[in-house]
Amino acid sequence: MSLEIKVPAVGESITEVTIAQWFKQEGDQVEMDEVICELESDKATFELNAEAAGKLHIVAQEGDTLEIDELICTIDTDSAGETKTESSPAPEAASSDKPASEGPKSTGEIKEMIVPTVGESITEVTISSWLKADGDFVELDEVIAEVDSDKATFELPAEANGILRIVAQEDDTIEIGALICKIEVMEGGAPTAESTPAPATTDTSSSTSSTSENETYATGHASPAAAKILAEKGIDPANVKGTGKDGRITKEDAEKAQVTAPKPAAAPAKQEETAEAIAAPGSRNERRERMTSLRKTVSKRLVSVKNETAMLTTFNEVNMKPIMDIRKQYKEKFKEKYEVGLGFMSFFTKAVTVAAQEWPAVNARIEGNEIVYNDFVDVSIAVSAPKGLMVPVIRNAESMSFDQIEKEIIRLATKARDGKLTIDEMTGGTFTVTNGGIFGSMLSTPIINAPQSAILGMHNIVERPMAVNGEVKILPIMYVALSYDHRIVDGRESVSFLVRVKELLEDPTRLLLGI
Amino acid sequence: MKYDVTVIGSGPGGYIAAVRCAQLGMKTAIIEKYNTLGGTCLNVGCIPSKALLDSSEHYHNATHTFKDHGIELSDLKVDFKQMIERKTQVVNQVTGGVDFLMKKNKIDVFHGLGSFIDKNNIKVTDGDGKETKIETDKTIIATGSKPASLPFIEIDKKRIITSTEALVLKEIPKHMIVIGGGVIGMELGSVYARLGAQVSVVEFMDDIIPSMDKTMGKELKKALKKLGFQFYLGHKVVEVKGTAKTVTIKAENKKGEIVDIKGDYCLVSIGRKPYTEGLGLENAGVKMDDRGRIEVDEHLKTSTDNIYAIGDVVKGAMLAHKAEEEGVFVAEVINGEKPHINYNLIPGVVYTWPEVAAVGQTEEQLKESGRAYKSGSFPYRALGRARASMDIDGLVKVLADKETDEILGVHMIGARTADMIAEAVVAMEFRASAEDIARMSHAHPTYTEAFKEACLAATDNRALNV
Repeated sequence: MSLEIKVPAVGESITEVTIAQWFKQEGDQVEMDEVICELESDKATFELNAEAAGKLHIVAQEGDTLEIDELICTIDTDSAGETKTESSPAPEAASSDKPASEGPKSTGEIKEMIVPTVGESITEVTISSWLKADGDFVELDEVIAEVDSDKATFELPAEANGILRIVAQEDDTIEIGALICKIEVMEGGAPTAESTPAPATTDTSSSTSSTSENETYATGHASPAAAKILAEKGIDPANVKGTGKDGRITKEDAEKAQVTAPKPAAAPAKQEETAEAIAAPGSRNERRERMTSLRKTVSKRLVSVKNETAMLTTFNEVNMKPIMDIRKQYKEKFKEKYEVGLGFMSFFTKAVTVAAQEWPAVNARIEGNEIVYNDFVDVSIAVSAPKGLMVPVIRNAESMSFDQIEKEIIRLATKARDGKLTIDEMTGGTFTVTNGGIFGSMLSTPIINAPQSAILGMHNIVERPMAVNGEVKILPIMYVALSYDHRIVDGRESVSFLVRVKELLEDPTRLLLGI
Repeated sequence: MKYDVTVIGSGPGGYIAAVRCAQLGMKTAIIEKYNTLGGTCLNVGCIPSKALLDSSEHYHNATHTFKDHGIELSDLKVDFKQMIERKTQVVNQVTGGVDFLMKKNKIDVFHGLGSFIDKNNIKVTDGDGKETKIETDKTIIATGSKPASLPFIEIDKKRIITSTEALVLKEIPKHMIVIGGGVIGMELGSVYARLGAQVSVVEFMDDIIPSMDKTMGKELKKALKKLGFQFYLGHKVVEVKGTAKTVTIKAENKKGEIVDIKGDYCLVSIGRKPYTEGLGLENAGVKMDDRGRIEVDEHLKTSTDNIYAIGDVVKGAMLAHKAEEEGVFVAEVINGEKPHINYNLIPGVVYTWPEVAAVGQTEEQLKESGRAYKSGSFPYRALGRARASMDIDGLVKVLADKETDEILGVHMIGARTADMIAEAVVAMEFRASAEDIARMSHAHPTYTEAFKEACLAATDNRALNV
């Protein structure tokens, strides 16, 4: 039989390799683990070992560029002088047509995986998703689940090769040290479906029963006395951790539980003193709330942007006096004519669209191996809505007039506040403007709104002493920040973009003349 | 005199409410229409019936089981007068106990009919017509219930009687006809059947104790038949006629035929109705529902602020222990606390022998609600303790959720189940699973092992002793 050797995954960002040279000839007899070929990636050179002994059939020639997983060669193991089938091949090479006798064997060992300690103050985590299903074969160090803590999301790697038996279900909140899953440890690679060993069935039942030891229908059930105490304290039993059997809330748990929610509705006159006495001052409670799915999405996206882009920030400062003068001069007339106020946002949006067209990489995005440039500028505006951060989009801002931009901003911000934005109104966008200045931020490094490549951060306007023509002048200054993805935006482009925005804002006449 | 709380009615709901109010520091008054405190339960209900049940059970054992135990008796006879006398003494002791509790807790007792003048003023009219006025901030109505009847039955209290008269008969009936197959009829019927009376039960439904799990009714019927009970189930009473010495009733069976039953006493035990007569509810603006019960909200507050009602006079099971829980509940609510009553876990008990006791849902209720459940039962005859005591009739049935194994209902019939049911209540208040109970040590040899074994059976069909 013949074993296919494919380009192994050699590194995170490496998608293709080139065959530098073959050390063996077509038809050569090769030994297991013998170096047969040298591969080059754009980062490093490495050697390819024979995964079995046998006759080599070269598929890819020297100089060929192959993608990961593409076929390099095959080894005809039948013609091997001496077969060494006992030694198990590297897991990556595990091919489906491997002989059944070589399939993995259960070692009988059960690896119990517990929630690892992830941080000092973190006492519990939530299983956000299982990447593997119950009963799947998992490999050592393979990521099998995503776990949320209140600080971050992390990935859980398998601690052994074997069959996964899930104990904690998705969305379950479990304590540090609690059982997450079990792995029935196997030797060798992934089994074929039929070869799942019989003992697995018995273990299923044992793992379900241990589930019930962790969390059951009775978890969080308050005893009669505890229920009364909690009701009087105005505490929802759901917020109390039970220490009783299966997490039942005991009287002691209820007595120790602290008021965290707003005070209970006013009690009848007679016992106001009692109610007062319970809420002790200077409490040091922690309060735990389940993340809303919006918050979860936001957090996931922000973390992934930080992890997956090469983000950095460049700063500049803008003299806001010219714009303020224009606003002062034309505020009334503008309002009269367009029935909308002339704000800073329209100037910034306009300046951004002009600069973005000059430095198109800032307004582009990466898609696979390609860069997508946009001839239009759809500006996303970060809005702080009651439910969380929303980013509605002003479409074709480059061709809009000042009043159209102001009106669109008001329309979108109002919808955001009322939670009425449609998905359509929030998707797309080629560049984002965020204004931390409205909350008083002096300087910040905004996070890119993926898959966009840059975001402009506006800040508060502060009167600062500035050197103008050798004199100190007090001017209203705003610091501006541009965070960008260095993968596609170079320093020259980003800095020039920001300088261009600064120029356009400090001399708005340029906006008119396009210079 | 002005009180923080006035309780009308001194039954187990009322007097307990008064004691709890006093414990919480409220100035409390209690009004009782009758001469003795304690209400139906202590005077003409639970306590005297249990006194007679025990006396008659002793007699029954003496006549039926002593011989097997190796005890020979001759000239065995019932001194019925003494039996009633002992019962009266028991009643006097327990009602005296309530007097003591009132004094101990500094609760002012007013004897007479309490009637609202308005929501804060109550007039108490005693037997001599003397009136006393009480001013009160809060009022708890705990006036209880009295035996219900049918429109065409005239209770003459001599031959056609209710439970109240059945407890003070001068003679043992020869043939007592019991109308109604409920708890009261089965208990009092048992008393007289054991003392030698022929007992005929006429019940409109197809089962006795119809509100309980069907298995219980079936098993109890078997046991009572052994005692000599005759059952006319599915029979509708259409006429009851009494003379000086006899009673004749006509009942219509399912085929529409009329059956005549002749006896010397007829016990009408078809249920009880809320008792609100003379309370002057209208003066306080307290509303009643269409079934004559006082309407209350989830805090047992009536339609009038400051007036609460508990026990038989409001909705729910007419049980002394339910009234007691409500008494404590209302006192604590008035005190601004937030107590709970789990109405699903109020046990029901029938003091026949074997006793019947139950808590939670019946199998019929589970079926109707479509809940997936599993069932495990264990017969008394497989218990060492039951063998030793010659009490081998009965079984314990445990119903648990099919998935979670949480106990949803426990139904017991057998010796001492009235006391055993407490364990099931505790377990269910803590939402125990059947396996939880199965893994707790139960003393041997006891009847409680039947509960453990039934839980084992419910867990995984793994009862050990059957």
